[in-house]
Amino acid sequence: MIRSRKRPTRAALGPFAALAAAALIALSPARLGAYSLEDRVQRVTLENGLKVLLVERHTSPTVALYIRHLVGAADEAEGRSGAAHLLEHMLFKGTTTIGTKNFGEEQRVLKRIREAGAALDRERMKGAGADESELKRLAQALKELQSEAREWVVENEIDRLYTENGAVGLNASTGQDVTTYKVSLPSNRIELWARIEADRMTNPVLREFYTERDVVMEERRQTYESVPARKLMELFLATAFTASPYRRPVIGWPSDIAFLSPDDLETFFRQYHAPGNTVIAVVGDIDAAGTLELVKRYFGPIPAHPPVPRRVTEEPPQNGQKRVTLAADANPHLIIGWHKPTLPSFEDYVFDVIEALLSKGRTSRFHRAIVQGKQLAEEVSAVNGMPGARYANLFMVSGTPRHPHGPDELEEAVYEEIERLKTEPVQKRELEKIINQLRAEFIRELNSNAGLASRLSYYEIIAGDYRYMTRYIEMIEKVTPKDILETAKKYLTEENRTVAVLRKQVKP
Amino acid sequence: MKKALALSLALVLLSAGLCPADDAKGGPAAPPWPDPDRLTYGEIRFSPPKPERVVLENGLTLYTLEDRELPLVQVSFIVGAGSVFEPEGKAGLAELTGDAMRTGGAGKLGGDQVDEQLEYLAAPVSVNLGMEYGTGSLSVLKKDLEKAFGIFADILRRPAFEEAKVEQARNLKIEELRRVFDQPQRLAFREYRRVLYAGNPRGRLPEIATIASIGREDVAAFHRAHFFPRNLRIAITGDLSKEEALALVERHFGDWDDEGDFGTAPHPKPREQAPLYYYPRKGPQSTVIIGTIGPGKESPDFYPFTVLDHILGSGGFRSRIFQEVRSSRGLAYSAGSFYEGRQGYGTFGAYAMTKTESTGQVLSVLQAILKDARESRMPAQDIHLAKRAIVNSYIFSFTSSHMIAFQHMALEFQGLPVKFLTEYPAKIDAVNREDVLKVAEKYLDPDRWTVFVLGDEGRFDEPLKSFGTVKRIP
Repeated sequence: MIRSRKRPTRAALGPFAALAAAALIALSPARLGAYSLEDRVQRVTLENGLKVLLVERHTSPTVALYIRHLVGAADEAEGRSGAAHLLEHMLFKGTTTIGTKNFGEEQRVLKRIREAGAALDRERMKGAGADESELKRLAQALKELQSEAREWVVENEIDRLYTENGAVGLNASTGQDVTTYKVSLPSNRIELWARIEADRMTNPVLREFYTERDVVMEERRQTYESVPARKLMELFLATAFTASPYRRPVIGWPSDIAFLSPDDLETFFRQYHAPGNTVIAVVGDIDAAGTLELVKRYFGPIPAHPPVPRRVTEEPPQNGQKRVTLAADANPHLIIGWHKPTLPSFEDYVFDVIEALLSKGRTSRFHRAIVQGKQLAEEVSAVNGMPGARYANLFMVSGTPRHPHGPDELEEAVYEEIERLKTEPVQKRELEKIINQLRAEFIRELNSNAGLASRLSYYEIIAGDYRYMTRYIEMIEKVTPKDILETAKKYLTEENRTVAVLRKQVKP
Repeated sequence: MKKALALSLALVLLSAGLCPADDAKGGPAAPPWPDPDRLTYGEIRFSPPKPERVVLENGLTLYTLEDRELPLVQVSFIVGAGSVFEPEGKAGLAELTGDAMRTGGAGKLGGDQVDEQLEYLAAPVSVNLGMEYGTGSLSVLKKDLEKAFGIFADILRRPAFEEAKVEQARNLKIEELRRVFDQPQRLAFREYRRVLYAGNPRGRLPEIATIASIGREDVAAFHRAHFFPRNLRIAITGDLSKEEALALVERHFGDWDDEGDFGTAPHPKPREQAPLYYYPRKGPQSTVIIGTIGPGKESPDFYPFTVLDHILGSGGFRSRIFQEVRSSRGLAYSAGSFYEGRQGYGTFGAYAMTKTESTGQVLSVLQAILKDARESRMPAQDIHLAKRAIVNSYIFSFTSSHMIAFQHMALEFQGLPVKFLTEYPAKIDAVNREDVLKVAEKYLDPDRWTVFVLGDEGRFDEPLKSFGTVKRIP
């Protein structure tokens, strides 16, 4: 459930460049066991609380750079859903020294834009009671100020600087838990990244705010409202969680996005993009000591911000099945979820094993029994840990029935496999297969700078220690058939589940 | 060759620090930070290793590159088998053949046994037959190489095409096609392809009826026709020597002397005076695509057109379409262009997804941007930026041994010389404003565009007929 910025990119050498890159992710190498990777990771905490992870890999003269902040949609205040994601968009708009021809002049116009935007939004909030002519007048006033501001703006400078210097994979994403800014560069250009990112963490300017808010509305139309499967997911999460912040879509509810203000984002930024809430990972062709000096020089002076206490509404226990239907002019779709604890609880590892048993590969139970055997579905998959990992989350199954079979038949077939988990102990070979696969995947991921930077920084920020990842297989190996039986019996129950069904309905 | 590439890369990366400074800086908030355009960077020296190329007696070509960093072996192949070679009425045959090769059993193993063995070894195999060619892969721990490679070879040479698995592949594809209509963007690009390539085999798309007509015999015949040693190239990299790789391939493919059909298909041509195609579909957003046939990868126009495409819409946030449609007007989340130089032709398109009520406005903006490219020379600074971006990121084409071997294999498959790789940065660097204008004039002719709009016309801001003759599909 991570929102990404869709960025047009050139297919470097035609089809094959992209293809080879894809092949790389799917296939790759390692003599690196858990401990040798730990030997290669340097972890340093700067005085302001910023954590830095460094790994030297000299395969090619390139480097992957990840910045993660422990903040996401789950931290938004009521009525401000979408703030984390819109802020992520806005942080591409530049700083006081990047993206402006004259910040002093620009600042004056920006202030007036903010007032004009707030006035317009106040009128719009009246809804049906809004004064049409007033709306028009205020919109026109905003528009004029926006053109005035444009004279001072150098648009998309951050992207230009990176692109011109050969960046690939420049992107950002916002999830429920974490916000991420990432890029890969030729390894001689790390200073450019440090210059831009430290500035972005210190002096961002929320220019072109109201236009970007419209862009996010388009993003919502494109990636949620036009796609029935995504709408179903939104409805499913909003139903499964009653109190937890995980009930809200990361992109935000449309009526919340429509009234987000620069002030909302600034508050959010100050609280959560602070160094103590941030992990950086640098992986590639670097001299770790030199790179650390560079990071200290740019990021070290960012003032520490006292940690913000997080008041999190906990999801109360569920005491009965919840069901919800989405009627849409689309083929049927089914989502089922059960509440469960998150990492690093042992049960979360057990659910990782259950996920693999049910849906990893063509020999998985769902594929064998439902896609190939009964041929009820086009696809059925299980995912552990939706929609985030900071708080108690869901074990989720989703599937698409194969015509003429419907979602109810599919649901029954899923429950048959769930019941098997509670009654039949898993065979040794099936567990071995899963461990073989997880081990090989771990090794393959280590072969890419970006993959490694991504995982190290993710687990450092979410689990508080990247070694969650290096010690993962050891933990998985501890999971016994009995653990699986007990965990399934405890959590995968009717009263603990939520079912969302998309049923086809053609509107007249 | 190795030296030339090293040199050109070093040169490029060095020159990057010497760009003329942007004059749009300054102001009262004088930075405690250095001007990011004036940062200087050390030199990079990098000689990507060169894979070894061996041709077996039977004509199968092998690329190998030893890389002992990790105990893994990666294998890829390219085969001249794609949907362009499908017989009339059997659209979807190539894709189904690939699916059934992977799932329908191989050699002495049934389909389920293949799955069991590969998944127990954690050695994924893929087979994907696309439009112009097919590719596939195997990734395996060195210790399991012999066993997994044997299965991989059987999948390529001796697929069993179990009837039940062919039927499953067919049924799953039919379900996928039924569900295309639930995804407006996917539907739009699929239908756009049909009209862009009208009259060419590339415009024939799988339909439920064509898939339903494909039987085991069709799949087996397609495999027989296109999988033979002289039509297959394999790249093996990782924890093994060239000799080991060669011996492995000799053992599993050396006695294979089949011949077959290389296949031919005419290159597509741009449409002349095509109508504007409208695909009605209710929903909150429209998809607008304007595209045409561009230069092939072997053409000298490939380089200036690559620069042109970068400036127009594939060069990130600063590219014109993105900037105009998204950043300045807030009319889209996804907007840009794509260009892919293929063998003998290329495909170019500009696109945006916008709310129904701004469809006409977005179509006008896209058309204006494309027209402007052929009416006036691009500013030197835009050309400079695009060239630097392309050349500076080129190093990412060489970030792993397998990627390098794959590049070499793919180039040969496309009939391009190895020097293509070494000359690419210099040829991009040599592109000037006139070159870009010339390719824009040549390829971006409004009379040869294909314009496609999917959406709900009743709610558009402008009727489509104000843009020309409209042809409604379906």
